[in-house]
Amino acid sequence: MRKLVIPGELVSDNSKKAGQHVFVRDGKLYSDCIGLVNESYDSISVIPLEGPYIPNINDIVIGIIEQELFAGYVVNINSFYSGFIPKKNIDFFAKVGDLVSVKIASVNEVNEVDLDSPRILEDGELLEISPVKIPRVIGKEGSMLNILKKGTGCNILVGRNGRIWIKGGDVKLAFRLIKFIESQAHTENLTDRVTKIIEEAKNQSSNVLGE
Amino acid sequence: MNKRPDGRNPEDLRPIKIEVGVIQRADGSAYIEWGQNKIYAAVYGPKECLPKHIGNPYRAVVTYNYRMATFSVPERKNPKPGRREIEISKVSGEALERAIFTEKFPNTEIEIDVEVIDSNAGTRVAALTAAAVALADAGIPMRDLISAVGIGKANGQLVVDLNKEEEDAEDAVDIPFAIMPNTEEIVLLQMDGLLTKEEWKILCEMGIKAAKQVYEIQKQALKSKYFVEEL
Repeated sequence: MRKLVIPGELVSDNSKKAGQHVFVRDGKLYSDCIGLVNESYDSISVIPLEGPYIPNINDIVIGIIEQELFAGYVVNINSFYSGFIPKKNIDFFAKVGDLVSVKIASVNEVNEVDLDSPRILEDGELLEISPVKIPRVIGKEGSMLNILKKGTGCNILVGRNGRIWIKGGDVKLAFRLIKFIESQAHTENLTDRVTKIIEEAKNQSSNVLGE
Repeated sequence: MNKRPDGRNPEDLRPIKIEVGVIQRADGSAYIEWGQNKIYAAVYGPKECLPKHIGNPYRAVVTYNYRMATFSVPERKNPKPGRREIEISKVSGEALERAIFTEKFPNTEIEIDVEVIDSNAGTRVAALTAAAVALADAGIPMRDLISAVGIGKANGQLVVDLNKEEEDAEDAVDIPFAIMPNTEEIVLLQMDGLLTKEEWKILCEMGIKAAKQVYEIQKQALKSKYFVEEL
């Protein structure tokens, strides 16, 4: 069981292994957010349980078209600033409110972004969760995402900014599972429990068909 | 040592209850019941700083809005923010700014809205306590939480956490007192009335002790959002 810490709580006496979301005061490590302590052989870090999305280079995010200009589209990527995709780089037409998947090409020191490789997402549904819980939805090397895709038969695209696009298959079950992962992101053995829920849902639907 | 008008000992706090995550549309929120005081705190951001000229390219701007509901006091209060509310917003915002790693979010704004629903003395410290919890719930990087408590003198006795009856006593001294509990750094200190040097020394000790009690309640409220069964 990992230890839950709040801002300012002591994490470790060893300040040489400082990782992410910790800071050093008087030679000791303290947490700077609410999260779980993660100790590895070379670093001690805190995995946050709440927080905003901070854009990083090479992130795949899902954006919503905010505004159309003569030269391109303004895209909301759930960050501090909106991004912009010029029309000359793209081969589709979009309306305000459409979804696009984009890659973050560069980020400057005030977190303004340049976007790259835009792709329009036609139809499908959008689910928004806390951005810090996205790693749990993806799992280790995509294990959780594969289970979700196989179990629900959906086409799922996960954006690092907390937006998840789902198309086809059992969308209702996919929504339920992702909400479950979000609410239980701080606990262990998530993969097993998600598999169990998928099996239960499958049994139920086959029972209904049998009757 | 005399009992106080409501039967408390000089170092006793009123009952405190904190709930976390009560406002869904906010990034972080908290609700506090401190004696008769009932306060909601909500945090929005970090977000784009608008109007742009108030932004700072080196750090985030913290805006703290303290407001009292019209029905929070015995006589209807004019909803227009008055001198008192603007002052409290300023000093409390600066106290919280000390705890936040503002340099991590350049050119952004962190907005904290505090609404007093019911009041009975010590709302600014209760609001600050709730706002610190709401900030932690929003996941904003902080050096420490902020724990606040009212200290002072009433009816010739040095006391902690004055209520309205004590605040209205003839010799009353009222000091809102906020610290970062892990370092004991004072971030908010105002005073109404007169104290001797010796009295202040004793009161400061009492205040730190009481604020640490408040800290334990804040800590438990934050942790119980995730692990209810353990507590």
